[in-house]
Amino acid sequence: MNSGDAAGSSSGGSGDAGAPRRASRKPKYSKFTQQELPACKPILTPKWVISVFLLVGVIFVPIGVASLLASNKVVEIVDRYDDACVPSNVTNKLAYIQNSTISKTCRRTLKVPKDMKQPIFVYYQLNNFYQNHRRYVKSRNDQQLRDASKANETTLCDPEKTRDGMAIVPCGLIAWSTFNDTYTFQHNTNNLSIDKTDISWKSDRDHKFGSDVFPKNFQKGPLIGGKTLNESIPLSEQEDLIVWMRTAALPTFRKLYGRIYVDLKENDTITVTLDNNYNTYSFDGKKSLVLSTSTWLGGKNDFLGLAYLTVGGLCFFLAFAFTLLYLIKPRKLGDNNYLSWNRNSAGH
Amino acid sequence: LFKVATECSVVLCCRVAPLQKAGIVALIKNRTDDMTLAIGDGANDVSMIQMADVGVGINGQEGGQAVMASDFSMGQFRFLVPLLLVHGHWNYQRMGYMILYNFYKNATFVLVLFWYVLYTSFTLTTAITEWSSLLYTVLYTSLPTIVVGILDKDLSKSTLLAYPKLYGSGQRNEKYNLNLFVLNMLEALWQSLVVFYIPYFAYRQSTIGMSSLGDLWALASVIVVNMQLAMDIIRWNWIIHVFVWGTIAATVICLFVIDSIWVLPGYGAIYHIMGQGLFWLLLLIIVVTAMVPHFAIKAFSEHFVPSDIQIGREIEKFEALNQVNHSEIPMRTFS
Repeated sequence: MNSGDAAGSSSGGSGDAGAPRRASRKPKYSKFTQQELPACKPILTPKWVISVFLLVGVIFVPIGVASLLASNKVVEIVDRYDDACVPSNVTNKLAYIQNSTISKTCRRTLKVPKDMKQPIFVYYQLNNFYQNHRRYVKSRNDQQLRDASKANETTLCDPEKTRDGMAIVPCGLIAWSTFNDTYTFQHNTNNLSIDKTDISWKSDRDHKFGSDVFPKNFQKGPLIGGKTLNESIPLSEQEDLIVWMRTAALPTFRKLYGRIYVDLKENDTITVTLDNNYNTYSFDGKKSLVLSTSTWLGGKNDFLGLAYLTVGGLCFFLAFAFTLLYLIKPRKLGDNNYLSWNRNSAGH
Repeated sequence: LFKVATECSVVLCCRVAPLQKAGIVALIKNRTDDMTLAIGDGANDVSMIQMADVGVGINGQEGGQAVMASDFSMGQFRFLVPLLLVHGHWNYQRMGYMILYNFYKNATFVLVLFWYVLYTSFTLTTAITEWSSLLYTVLYTSLPTIVVGILDKDLSKSTLLAYPKLYGSGQRNEKYNLNLFVLNMLEALWQSLVVFYIPYFAYRQSTIGMSSLGDLWALASVIVVNMQLAMDIIRWNWIIHVFVWGTIAATVICLFVIDSIWVLPGYGAIYHIMGQGLFWLLLLIIVVTAMVPHFAIKAFSEHFVPSDIQIGREIEKFEALNQVNHSEIPMRTFS
């Protein structure tokens, strides 16, 4: 509508210029207001279409191959233990896991399938655990985590806000449900040390969790959701808690437990002594222990390589198909005879 | 009367009173769904101008009443030609495209959020940081839309005046119809699936956090939606370049700023995820895979079933304009 009025008013001005010697009311000409800015007008010619598809194919296929190679280099050991670590005579798994008097220690044996170079990452993997549930994700208070003076800020932390009238630090369901299985490793009968420092993000340790905030009143209620925290260690050093509080995006996820700085050779035996404390039995969750090496691509991930190869292959196919089509039905570009009124009259 | 009138290509009525002028316009307007335009210069034309869908008044000898009652005003009758053929055509093309594009870009974004809900046990967790969700419509994708809606032209003024029959594309609803809308929605569906599922499968059993993945989804959606716009822009001038690429840059800056506010749960997420090679590879494959169908459809339809507008564009680009300065239908063109 603006352009219509602009045309109308400028036309009105030039119409008046015919009258004797009057100042022209024509607005100043500018390329912008007359919409005549220099512009490039790309058109999809056959050359462009085929080159674009070929270019995509040529770039994607090598990337796909490189990704698949990187993913194949990763050695991964995944061991699901939540079923096997419950003694076979137990029928009510939920009661078993909630009974704090029974010892939950379990031994698992893992075999190394291929040489693994250090650093080897130890993860625990949970399935069917929705850390991305809306009420769960909101159940935390970041101010309280960082600032010792804000210890009584517990908004949004329902139901883990206060206990006996005093605020819980750290409050909220996320902190309350911290994973508490522990693992110790032995490599061919030697003890294998696991480095549990620096498993969380440095930015979290420095800025989100205070070095003067200590756990208080934590896990003192009737229902214990997970890990109990050492009240003399400040939150910025409670790395398991920090790792857990970075809520996972998807219901199947891994979290870093620690790193092993020892090379493992093929066919070595790793014995894991674990404490099966965490309750995943009430919601059909699964727990697994994962040992994995990593490359520039991260952990084992065939999907990326396959996706790149698929898209690259598809683009090659499309380039080929379009070439055929252009050869079968060529059309001169910019020919007036193709305008619909010319075509119809020619057709008669 | 109506049947006779519609059989003719031109009807002349003379000695007509103002009320009858309005009656003639009403006759056509009420019995068909065609758009009517009335142009007049005197006070006796006011009722006709107001009755029509588009009223044009001429500012001249007989005073200003017609101008005051009209939607558009001009100085001479001959200015009607560029008003319709040039500006009317441009407006139709821009409005049609912008409406379809707006539906498409919002649908793409919302569908990405929707697919995520399937994996949060149906609680409505937003995949994308709440601030980014807000800023999506306001900042990330609004400015290119506005600028393209104002400045994009499908054909130049001289081509439109040289081939008046190109105006028929508007009359045939070529730029805004149900088929285009459905195609748009299907593209939104495909692109939202690509944006959501490629990272999903790549990060399925990894340590990825919600904020990091949300950042990837936000950035990927914005880039895909702007790339779609970029592919459909017909005329690239410097303003459009600045706004399209600038918006993507602004999105990245906003993501950095949002993730630098320590109160928000996503603190530090973007720095962490951008350091991984996987992030960039995923971004590349998401953008390309989302764009492939649109590109293929565009390439196919523009070459093998070209519309008149497409042929007009090719004429402008590939043939010297000297050959088409004299139009097919002799008309005094407005210089």
